[in-house]
Amino acid sequence: MSGTEADTTFLVALAGLPGMGPARLRHLLDGRSPADAWAVVRGASPVPPAVAKACGPKVAAVLAGWRAAAAAVDVDERWAAHDAAGILVTPTSAPGVPACLAADLEPPAVLFHTAPLSRLEGPRVAIVGTRRATRYGLDVARELGRDLAASGVLVVSGLATGIDGAAHRGALEAGVAPPVAVVGCGPDVVYPPRHAALWADVIAAGVLLSEHPLGTPPAPWRFPARNRVVAALADVLVVVESRASGGSLYTVDEALARDVPVHAVPGSVRSPASVGTNQLLADGAAPCRDAGDVLDALGLVRPASGGGGQMPAPPPELAGILEALGWEPATFDDLQTGTALDPGVLAAGLTRLVAGGWLQRQGGWFERLQPDGPRR
Amino acid sequence: MLATAATATLLGVEGRPVSVEVHVSSGLPGFTIVGQPDQACREARDRVRAALLSSRLAWPQQRVTVNLAPSGVRKIGGGLDLAIAVGVLAATDQVPMSSLDRRAFVGELGLDGSVRPVTGTLPLVGVLDADEVVVAPASVAEATVVGRHVVRCAPSLRDVAVALRGDEPWPDPPPPGSAPPVADPPDLLEVRGHRLARRALEVAAAGGHHLLLLGPPGSGKTLLATRLPGLLPPLEGEQALEATRVHSAAGLPLPADGLLRRPPLRRPHQSASAVAVLGGGSASMRPGEVSLAHGGVLFLDELGEFPPAVLDALRQPLEEGVMRVARAELRATLPARFLLVAAMNPCPCGGGERPGDCSCSDAALARYARRVSGPLLDRFDLRLEVQRVSTDDLLGGPAGEPSAPVAERVAMARAVAAARGVRANAELRGSALESATPLAPGVAELLEGALGTGALTGRGLARVRAVARTIADLEEHEGPLTAEQVGLALQLRSATLRPHLRRTA
Repeated sequence: MSGTEADTTFLVALAGLPGMGPARLRHLLDGRSPADAWAVVRGASPVPPAVAKACGPKVAAVLAGWRAAAAAVDVDERWAAHDAAGILVTPTSAPGVPACLAADLEPPAVLFHTAPLSRLEGPRVAIVGTRRATRYGLDVARELGRDLAASGVLVVSGLATGIDGAAHRGALEAGVAPPVAVVGCGPDVVYPPRHAALWADVIAAGVLLSEHPLGTPPAPWRFPARNRVVAALADVLVVVESRASGGSLYTVDEALARDVPVHAVPGSVRSPASVGTNQLLADGAAPCRDAGDVLDALGLVRPASGGGGQMPAPPPELAGILEALGWEPATFDDLQTGTALDPGVLAAGLTRLVAGGWLQRQGGWFERLQPDGPRR
Repeated sequence: MLATAATATLLGVEGRPVSVEVHVSSGLPGFTIVGQPDQACREARDRVRAALLSSRLAWPQQRVTVNLAPSGVRKIGGGLDLAIAVGVLAATDQVPMSSLDRRAFVGELGLDGSVRPVTGTLPLVGVLDADEVVVAPASVAEATVVGRHVVRCAPSLRDVAVALRGDEPWPDPPPPGSAPPVADPPDLLEVRGHRLARRALEVAAAGGHHLLLLGPPGSGKTLLATRLPGLLPPLEGEQALEATRVHSAAGLPLPADGLLRRPPLRRPHQSASAVAVLGGGSASMRPGEVSLAHGGVLFLDELGEFPPAVLDALRQPLEEGVMRVARAELRATLPARFLLVAAMNPCPCGGGERPGDCSCSDAALARYARRVSGPLLDRFDLRLEVQRVSTDDLLGGPAGEPSAPVAERVAMARAVAAARGVRANAELRGSALESATPLAPGVAELLEGALGTGALTGRGLARVRAVARTIADLEEHEGPLTAEQVGLALQLRSATLRPHLRRTA
């Protein structure tokens, strides 16, 4: 076993200790080899003051937890498990780690990933947003993901429900640039569980990155740390929908700290899911109307035709209903007032539009799905 | 001496004839009642003795034995008092023995000798095989509904004795109309906006389709549901009699003429016990809310908050129109054919006013959706989301159509359904449904589209056709169902209990 590999072995074990966050790990490894750091957590070496400080007020309990967990860990076995699962482990100090991570304000000490880090090369755009998205947000995230990936841009997101998932799905649809997912748990812990299929698709087509070893369960404090890696990886951050407060605004803060340009997708001023993004626009974030706006910011060439436009036009007798609906959610009663159609005629028309994929019905609201032509 | 008086006791909503045998013999003075009396019935001893004495009639200083036959039936309540008292009078020659022939007695006695009304007079009188029935004055209207007997009444035991002796004629019944007037049911006129929901109410009333309303608090679910009984045709014939029997057995007030004609609305609270909702309980197997709603509407607000056991037990009455209650020694079949209207918030936070407003976690939504089982959900032919009405509609909007014309259309549609041999289109099944709901050209494709998007299942398809038939009947449309009718039926059934879970890209 070479020296670097032995170091990595200890890194895996260190990263898997309870309560081990990026800051504590960084302080443990400050001027110390992973083997020496392991000796510290085992209690064989004195605890340096910087580490004790990073452990906060409950330092004794944290250190005791580490010591107990470390005593129970078979370091080589942990390493072998990662090897067997095909999870690559790279210390951030190693060559080949993207400069944006290696030289970050708060660099991760170690990365667990499912594909070589060389796949991260190229322009990268992070698409983030609320987990509780509207139809509009999901459609925009998906289109952005698809059109950016089709232009060769790596789409980075967090595999969460809502906007994150839609962005990954869009990137997978394009099938050009590999999708990049940064997760806040072990690379084998599928969270949320309903994204199991998407999780597997992203691993198959792109890269899944984590700071945590196999088996690390998701915990609330890990998601802000994950967001910082997303921000660090991005050349441009696009927020599709965000509520007045939420994790995506945390990503925005991290991006601003790293001078990463932030774009926000404008939303209805009445939509609670767009309060955060509209506030970002008011605060001076660049508006993102489509992939072209992001490509402009990256200095890349816009694709010749606008995105979307694959939907065939609806039959002429149904166009009036789509016209009355517009791009805001509306109820059956709203539409009946708007179109002045007989309820039966409207109902049959709506059923056809839903079946044809122009509309979706959700909770009594009808929402238009995709543009029936280029928007600009 | 032995005397026999006829009366009846109550089990569920049905009377059981009881023959009261009174034996008076020499021996130590005493008074025993045998033949499965319950507590209230056993207490008749004290009431009957005091009533006789207060009525200036003689109590025999002999051994009195009362047998309630048949002995296999449990005798409930104080309704046997009058028969026991009359039996004692006949056995002691205070009234002629022949005056008990072909007469039956239903009434409770007060210590002062007054004759009081009994719960369930209608079903009790209904099983009596006699020419004349003697009841309390307040029960005359109810007892007359049966129509097979001459109904006599007397305010006190003394009056009964005098009339039986033939000394004086029977007292006149009290003038009718003493019951308080019943308020009119709420009118649809007061519902503003809610165009689709109004249509759903009309279809539910016309076709007997159960209706589930999903909507945030304050969206008008209760407002709408309480309008439904006013749209149903009045109860007639056997159905009215059944409903009246249930209300009588439960001791609920009846209209002045004794017959319940207005479809009842029952709205048990979600904290009501299983027995209160389903029936059973005390030894008389009291009818529950499902039976009290017989012929009318059962409204379950906050459906998901009802205990799962109660909701599951609803499936039997929904399927068969009766509630079978069984206890250790008793079983009763209670009528329970009702139109079920249920209301629910779309999610636990109740804040889902616009898409994306709901702040519930997936797990919470899934848990909430599980509260209503699939089989119960299947019984709702109409599932509709209700949104809060806009302020414009509330303040300035046109007033809606009143209930009366809607009720006329409903009655007409029900007549069309009756011509098909069912009470309402919701009862159409199998080949009868198939032949009643041919599809116009191009409509199959509309249904296929709905099946393709997962908005409809195979079972749902049949129900949509039944609802579309009702819509067509309301429009006085004969022949194959049009795309408009089927489209509207689809929209009226399109709500899902877990809308937010589908919010994936």
